[in-house]
Amino acid sequence: MKQTFISIGNTLIPYLVAITASFLAAGLFIGMMGFDVLKAYETILLSSFRSPGAFAQTLVKFVPLLLQALAFTIPLAAGKFNIGGEGQLIVGAIGAAGVGIVFANLPIYLLLPLVIIAGVVFGALWAAFPAWLLYRFGINEILTTVLLNFVSFSLIDYIATEIWRDPAAGHPTTVPIGAGGELPLLMERTNLHAGFIIAVLIAVLVYIYTNHTSAGYELIATGANARASRAYGINVRSLFLLSLILGGGVAGLSGAIEVAGVHHRLIEGLQSNFLLLGLIIGLIAKGNHFGVPFVAFFIAVLEIGASSMQRTMSIPGEMVFIVEALILLFILLSDLVRKK
Amino acid sequence: MTPSESTLLEMRGVRKTFGPVIALDNVTLNVKRGEIHGLLGGNGAGKTTLMNVLFGLYKADAGEIAVDGRVAQVRSPREAIGLGIGMVHQQFLQVNSFSAAENIVLGTPLRNRPTLDLTTPKQKIRALSEKFGLSLDPDATLESQPMGVRQRVEILKALYRDAKLLILDEPTTMLTPQQVDSLFNSLRAMVKSGLSVIFITHKLREVLTLCERITVLRNGKSVITLAREEATEDTFIKAMVGEEMNIGRSLLFAKSSYETEIAQVGSKELLKVDGLSVEAASQENQVISDWSFTLREGEILGVAGVAGNGQHELAESLMGIRPCKGKVVFDGAEMTTLVTRDLLARGIAYVPENRWDDGLLPKATVAQNLILGSHRRPPYSNGLMLNLGAILKRSQELIDEFKIKTESPQSLAANLSGGNVQRMMLARAFSQNPKLMIVHNPTQGLDIPSTEFVYNKLLERKRAGMGTLLISENLDELFLMCNRVAAIYRGRIVGVLERGQFDAYRVGRMMSGLE
Ligand SMILES: Nc1ncnc2c1ncn2[C@@H]1O[C@H](COP(=O)(O)OP(=O)(O)OP(=O)(O)O)[C@@H](O)[C@H]1O
Ligand SMILES: [Mg+2]
Repeated sequence: MKQTFISIGNTLIPYLVAITASFLAAGLFIGMMGFDVLKAYETILLSSFRSPGAFAQTLVKFVPLLLQALAFTIPLAAGKFNIGGEGQLIVGAIGAAGVGIVFANLPIYLLLPLVIIAGVVFGALWAAFPAWLLYRFGINEILTTVLLNFVSFSLIDYIATEIWRDPAAGHPTTVPIGAGGELPLLMERTNLHAGFIIAVLIAVLVYIYTNHTSAGYELIATGANARASRAYGINVRSLFLLSLILGGGVAGLSGAIEVAGVHHRLIEGLQSNFLLLGLIIGLIAKGNHFGVPFVAFFIAVLEIGASSMQRTMSIPGEMVFIVEALILLFILLSDLVRKK
Repeated sequence: MTPSESTLLEMRGVRKTFGPVIALDNVTLNVKRGEIHGLLGGNGAGKTTLMNVLFGLYKADAGEIAVDGRVAQVRSPREAIGLGIGMVHQQFLQVNSFSAAENIVLGTPLRNRPTLDLTTPKQKIRALSEKFGLSLDPDATLESQPMGVRQRVEILKALYRDAKLLILDEPTTMLTPQQVDSLFNSLRAMVKSGLSVIFITHKLREVLTLCERITVLRNGKSVITLAREEATEDTFIKAMVGEEMNIGRSLLFAKSSYETEIAQVGSKELLKVDGLSVEAASQENQVISDWSFTLREGEILGVAGVAGNGQHELAESLMGIRPCKGKVVFDGAEMTTLVTRDLLARGIAYVPENRWDDGLLPKATVAQNLILGSHRRPPYSNGLMLNLGAILKRSQELIDEFKIKTESPQSLAANLSGGNVQRMMLARAFSQNPKLMIVHNPTQGLDIPSTEFVYNKLLERKRAGMGTLLISENLDELFLMCNRVAAIYRGRIVGVLERGQFDAYRVGRMMSGLE
């Protein structure tokens, strides 16, 4: 077991170095702007753990970050880049909200599963289009997935202002979904909802799929060398298709959970910056499905810390975004250095 | 000239470790001006690593490099080029859609950068290519060029940057005999004009015809440096493998004692190919039209030919990778319509010619590489879930049996040496225990003991009544192992010779379309 110990140390050390270096760099800026650096560090790192409410808030944030990261890393395992998680989230949310509004009177044991499934299916369909273009015509998936994000912005705008508009709201928002479509809360007096359990379950399933099944092995092999995989009997084109659709399904799920667990309606802008953070998480974890949930949790902690810092110390929350980007940069750099 | 004046390069006490792996330990290398210096050593001995250190790709843990008597720091390929060192890697880094000239000047300072006017560079390229007999068309894009030309582009890249020392890492593995001859002539012209060459190969014959002095590496240590006149094949084999190999009982060196065994064949037909036609894989390749042949149990059937005459198409169509017309019956069942996955499941295994592109999963572990193609079958999987314990156990067995030099089954396959990648391909194929094995240049890049090992494994299969289709450009190999050899030319089978009729001259004529 000594060997695994060494290799875990070897993978963790660059991360610790990268995190430390990023914080030092950010501290420099914060100090130069005339703020209390140590207090800022403390706020960023510890806000999540100050109260049960704050911790619950962190876990609520963790859910879409984790799912967006997975929407990116599942196709990435096969060597394909899904940059459309945002659009898939929005369209998944539309599907979920639509079902939740149209069948508002159904009881929870019917409506909730329908809402969640609608999100998954809509997200998967939104990804199926670029996946099919890739399968059929070999059109680069990066471009098509990104472009479809913009289409989804118009789509949600149309639905929230024309179809199911809530006239009482100032911001483009639909009427609420039926009460039966809401995800139950897990902790009293907090907003931690059952979507957390779903997200963790999905992460575990994805980990098992990619690391412990023959089908997942084919995904990894394809990502490592598609030509060789084909020579050894793997249908790589179908796998490209499948992986993108799976990624879309997971992104759609994150949309459904935002609707059913957080907003209980469709709100324009509910995608927040989850896509970007998801990409950062996936890349920091280097696509490792064991690492993704941990990185996602860490980033969620930073995000909660960032808003708290902005509130209590008036330091711009973007500071934390710089930290996150720097961590990624340092991780990539450490790979280069270690190659020599 | 005093000895020190004649020395161009000195590497002293070089050490390089990768984590716990000691790739180089106190290695010394001394190359004179105007010589071709051979670098010999078993797979994983450290040849490529040593050259990567010299070329600034790896940073040595200890040791020094002196060029022209001055100690130099080589921290990057750019610095190496500045010192007059050029390297031709085993795998070329080329832009296929660029012309030869564009590839050569890429990365050098250009006077007419905005207009990309290559008139002056092209003159220099033409002059170099004429001087050293490296003929090529500077304006042709590389896409459609054969291996020999692509290699010339790499050599010209170095010469264009005024290299005084040219490193060639196993340059002959992918060349036809004619291309090898032409390469040797160019190298001789280079050293005549004062350049030095470091030449890595596993073929003793090449070393003994080409190199003035030869350094042997073994397990990361430099064992000995000899002048060609001082040594024989035996000396080098001893230096490379130590006392590991019993030459007296070797298939390679004591062929005749195995003759009766190799000549034996079963009576039952294992594979019957009828009217096989396949489209060409690329422009430089040939279309296969209307091939018919049979392969019996316990038979090793050879396919001899210059690369690009249909070998690749044959292998890939039989493996279901490439569409084909015609009828193929394997083990009594029609298999023309089956996909690769089913063919593998029915007991056909494949060792592709291009191990990097068609065989290796570089970012995956050695264990993950070994199970490729068998990943849905026991013992690795129950069809759904992988059995990680069984995979690691079996991988370790294969690593031991095929002597794959790796730290553990969970090491990254990209870190294996060239020959060890080949060992891994072979281990993968043999471990399936297939009824039929299609192997394409199976011993390329292998050292002598590994080659011997592969031949013994083929013999073992033969005893068990399994069939092998051995596609090879190495006539010695074909004549040693095969019961029959089919010579091909321009996508046609020119003739099939029985064991006993083998004649290198005759096959050579058939392969070049003279018969
Ligand atoms: N980047 C790396 N990381 C870890 N180990 C490495 C790395 N590069 C080389 N090695 C190890 O160093 C040893 C020497 O490898 P090297 O490629 O120099 O061998 P070689 O003499 O060129 O062999 P071959 O004839 O098979 O090409 C091998 O055991 C190899 O696994
Ligand atoms: Mg090598």
